[in-house]
Amino acid sequence: MILTGTQIENAVARKEVIIRPFRQSQLAPNSYDFRLGNRCCVYTRNVLDASKDNPTRVTEIPPDGIVLSPRRVYLINTEETMGSTKYVPIIRGRSSTGRLGLFIHITADLIDLGYVGQMTLQLHCVQPVRVFPGMLIGQITFWRTSGRRVFYSGKYNHRRSPVRSLSFLDNKLSHE
Amino acid sequence: MILTGPKIRQAVKFGEITIEPFDEKNLNPNSYNYRLGKALIALNPKREKQRKIDLTPAGCVVKPGMIYLATTLEKIGSNKFVTLLLGRSSIGRLGLFLNITADLGHCGSCSHWTLELSAVQPVRVYPGMKIGQVSFWLTEPNSHAPYTGRYHRDSEPTPNRDPHLANTF
Repeated sequence: MILTGTQIENAVARKEVIIRPFRQSQLAPNSYDFRLGNRCCVYTRNVLDASKDNPTRVTEIPPDGIVLSPRRVYLINTEETMGSTKYVPIIRGRSSTGRLGLFIHITADLIDLGYVGQMTLQLHCVQPVRVFPGMLIGQITFWRTSGRRVFYSGKYNHRRSPVRSLSFLDNKLSHE
Repeated sequence: MILTGPKIRQAVKFGEITIEPFDEKNLNPNSYNYRLGKALIALNPKREKQRKIDLTPAGCVVKPGMIYLATTLEKIGSNKFVTLLLGRSSIGRLGLFLNITADLGHCGSCSHWTLELSAVQPVRVYPGMKIGQVSFWLTEPNSHAPYTGRYHRDSEPTPNRDPHLANTF
């Protein structure tokens, strides 16, 4: 079951859901609209490798935005710090950004229980598109769970978003 | 409702979820990490034939502009819960899509899932790497109509079998 906007607001008041800063105007009937941050991380090489630490460059996005290219991945933080220890967050784009051909994650919409921080969005566009820091870019939904809850303690905790892929830290990269 | 990691472990133990092989280390707070199987099928619209690529430990670079079909190393499914297939954020951060807006599994389907790999930038992948995750969801009680469709029991990357879409490649 998915939380309604009113339930999200109540869960924020009870600290079961963290959304900081929280603005009531960004509540939707069954989600919360979040904003794009201003730090952008891109890989400096074209060819990436899942077993290597791929070098990156982080830049600040100016107020008049940046134009994204379809041929690159852009890792950009959310303005909001978000997460929950009670409900599972799932992020997605808004239909307004989808209509521009802009993906805000790359098949990675599910957030672990207990992760609280700025999200690292994985921006990818179908056509070139200009994005601005502070724009409403996506929405977060919250889902009830079944079973005992345990919390995320993985490699992306306690790092400043956006964080590049840390897949090179995965222990199992060769086949058995 | 979505199953938590401990609930997934319990459901595997009770036979309500199949994940073979199952390794507790791949459990997350609310999902399970699956691994990449040992072969890809490259679908190139400019070529008439599909090209099968057997993955070696050195891996393979997945290029933009093409779809590669792959499979999960694990056999995954459930008669009781609905499976959703997605990627991991570590892989999304590399610009690699694991499916093309087709994430919903059918209750009753149990197979090595066909993945639809699509890359934004060229990216090298390896057989056996943790590449994506599955989540499991409760259904309304007493409402099962288990899947018996055309992709039932797939064990290798399987191109589309819809007769209405025949000759697409």
